Amino acid sequence: MTEEFEPKIVAFLCKWCSSAGSDLAGVSRMEYPANVIPIQVMCSGSVSPLYIFEAFNRGADGVLVSGCHPGDCHYIKGNMYARRRLLLVKKLLEHLGLEPERFQMSWVSAAEGQKYTQVIKELVKELKPLGPQTKLRRERNG
Amino acid sequence: MVKHEDVRAEAKKLLESGKVKYIIAYELGADGWKANPVFIKKPEDVDKIIWGPTCFHNLVRFVVDEKRRKVQQKNPDTRPVGVVVKGCDSRAIVILLQEKFIERKDVHIIGVSCEKTGVIDERKLANKLKGRKAKNVEFGPDENFVVTTEEGAVDLPASEIMADRCLECIAHVPVITDVLFGEKTKRTVPHPFGSVEKIETLSSEDRWKFWSEHLEKCVRCYACRSVCPMCYCDECVADTITFAVSPDTTAEEKAQKIKWLDKSPVISENIFYHMVRAIHLAGRCIDCGECERACPVNIPLRMLNKKLEKEAKLLFGYDVGFDPEKPALISCFRDEDPEDFIR
Amino acid sequence: MDKILAKKDFPRWLGALGAYDVYAPQLIDDVWNYELAAKPKAVSLDYPQTAIPAKKIVFPQREFFFEFREADTDDYKLKELLPEEKPTVIFGVRPCEGKAVTLTDLVFGGEIKDDYYWKRRNAAVLVGLACATPPTTNCFCLSVNGSPHSKEGLDVLMTDLGDQYYVEILTDKGKKLVSEGGAIFHEAKPPDKKAAEKIHADSEKKLARELKNIKDVPAKLKGMFASPFWDDESMSCIRCGICTYLCPTCHCFDINDEVESQTPLAGRRVRTWDTCQFPDFTMHSSGHNPRPDKAARLRQRINHKFQYFVEVWQNYQCTGCGRCITLCPVGIDIIKVVEKVRDHAS
Repeated sequence: MTEEFEPKIVAFLCKWCSSAGSDLAGVSRMEYPANVIPIQVMCSGSVSPLYIFEAFNRGADGVLVSGCHPGDCHYIKGNMYARRRLLLVKKLLEHLGLEPERFQMSWVSAAEGQKYTQVIKELVKELKPLGPQTKLRRERNG
Repeated sequence: MVKHEDVRAEAKKLLESGKVKYIIAYELGADGWKANPVFIKKPEDVDKIIWGPTCFHNLVRFVVDEKRRKVQQKNPDTRPVGVVVKGCDSRAIVILLQEKFIERKDVHIIGVSCEKTGVIDERKLANKLKGRKAKNVEFGPDENFVVTTEEGAVDLPASEIMADRCLECIAHVPVITDVLFGEKTKRTVPHPFGSVEKIETLSSEDRWKFWSEHLEKCVRCYACRSVCPMCYCDECVADTITFAVSPDTTAEEKAQKIKWLDKSPVISENIFYHMVRAIHLAGRCIDCGECERACPVNIPLRMLNKKLEKEAKLLFGYDVGFDPEKPALISCFRDEDPEDFIR
Repeated sequence: MDKILAKKDFPRWLGALGAYDVYAPQLIDDVWNYELAAKPKAVSLDYPQTAIPAKKIVFPQREFFFEFREADTDDYKLKELLPEEKPTVIFGVRPCEGKAVTLTDLVFGGEIKDDYYWKRRNAAVLVGLACATPPTTNCFCLSVNGSPHSKEGLDVLMTDLGDQYYVEILTDKGKKLVSEGGAIFHEAKPPDKKAAEKIHADSEKKLARELKNIKDVPAKLKGMFASPFWDDESMSCIRCGICTYLCPTCHCFDINDEVESQTPLAGRRVRTWDTCQFPDFTMHSSGHNPRPDKAARLRQRINHKFQYFVEVWQNYQCTGCGRCITLCPVGIDIIKVVEKVRDHAS
């Protein structure tokens, strides 16, 4: 009996909005797939492209960066910089031939526990048929 | 036509008056037909200066060296350095000014216009000559080059041996100068991003095949990074070959230094290094093509950086390397920046 | 012991070498390199010079020393990862690279042998190709005690006679390799030998570049250690590493642990090529760097090749292949630098 492939998703969640939103989902006992490895960052604008490349290098099947909605950033403009910088990252990864579904961004506020579960559910659904990410992953010794 | 004598006369004037410390220019190399960078310190040496289709180097790289040198000196000579720049090279100076790495008074910019053509690609020329050795390459009267071999002179259309980046050039006349030689010709390029668009038409899997086959060859010599004027970080975050440690660096700081990738030249690590370089050059790469020229295994590195230059223009309306007052691409934003990719 | 092999029979020899890993020069994206011949029958020896020399096969850019894994009993399990001695043939090795391998043999041999190097070296058969014409415009092998038809370091030397190869067997390994081909080799006759010798003699006159009268250079270099000469010569160096990575005699390396998992802690100890041209090559953990600038590093490269190696091994550590000249992005020319040293006023 073959086990179904479960994508490993690394999610960079901004502390003030998205991470709080994921906490709300948990506290409200909302059910959603357990494929996410959450990493709390202070702001989506603080997510360096290196974090994303490193996540893929270490074998992540998908990477999500989630921050506050435009206008709601705790640091006023952080998410605006993220919006620009991470779009460039996305374009670069796609240019190399990585499947576009693997790197995604979302705006999730602290009150949007439901939206967070929705984002994760859709992400897992999109990544399952793609299989494990092998293109950027570092080789492992046997 | 840019005349050697005019450039030499300007250089002589600058050196005799002591206005500049030295001049970074092009001279004829030991092989007798290709240019090499030269540092002219004395007025008597200005006759070494040449200008021709083999002047493909980006001399702004040595302006960065000069700045590094100055920073380490207690009482530096604050006079500017003279530097001969083509159109593409001048945009590199604009980026350095934008980022305040140098001040305007640190350089005396001697611009040369590429007029109707540009510089040649050595590999394309070798393929064209099929074993014959070039002895001289000169600008022709029209959109051509005159190449002299042991069998005589031959006229070659520019489109056949010109460097790829020159075929898509958007700045054949330097955009910032203290003095300019050559005509300010008007040229339009129908497809400034044509080479990137060719790769974009490939499927995702074909693109991966293209890049993985090329980047597998990478030997991590770091020539691409070393030759780039924009890669001036003392310590490269991807894979540093210059640890910026001093006697004051604590053991804890050294232990906490993050190792993002391994030294092994395997595909995953090679791609990581090139991705980091490309993203750090977003909005800063001015397509001088030096990375691709320096690569000993012929990886089409321009195509990585050019893609982001295209996206900067299309997505954010950002023109790279024309306005020294403009903020860096990723340190500004517009309200109308696209966000349809965000859930 | 000399043989003749018709060019049309060359693929048959290759076809008989199924037990070997066959490397040959191949053109990929306009660059020649020694690669595993996927179709041995498609190998052709009509090529100038590879970018990366044959050293990459006996001394690969990355190899493993051992693997380590945290065991349950608060201990580490180590497993040595010596390379298997897989029979390997490299075709088309230019005499300068054959000579270079004899120089790296000196470094990795001696009293304490480097097993990782020797396992590959012992299993490798180097089939040389004499240079009828210089492969590049920057060749100068004759000036550094080499020659376009030198047999040093090679197991077989092939000379192109037009529609056949003159095959000289130089070692037992070479003899075995030729015997795999069996009857396709014929005994060489005196006219063939004469033809090969003429090609060899003529090839010596065709080298475009020379580095003359360098006998006193080692001593000269000794006296120039503190000279500002190096500052001027190194000004255009961009410290990229190409000259040393692509040099057939350069052999410096770095050793790192590549950790693959944290729990249990597991990984491999890896050796990779390194270069004295990178600023941190001599960086001490205190932060002191005895070669802090490009002048010191260029001086190191020239001294190592034309002074230190001569003092220790009585050989120049340069075989005149010209790669560093051809591929340097800013045109730093080792011939010009050494000539200037030779002519430098003491």
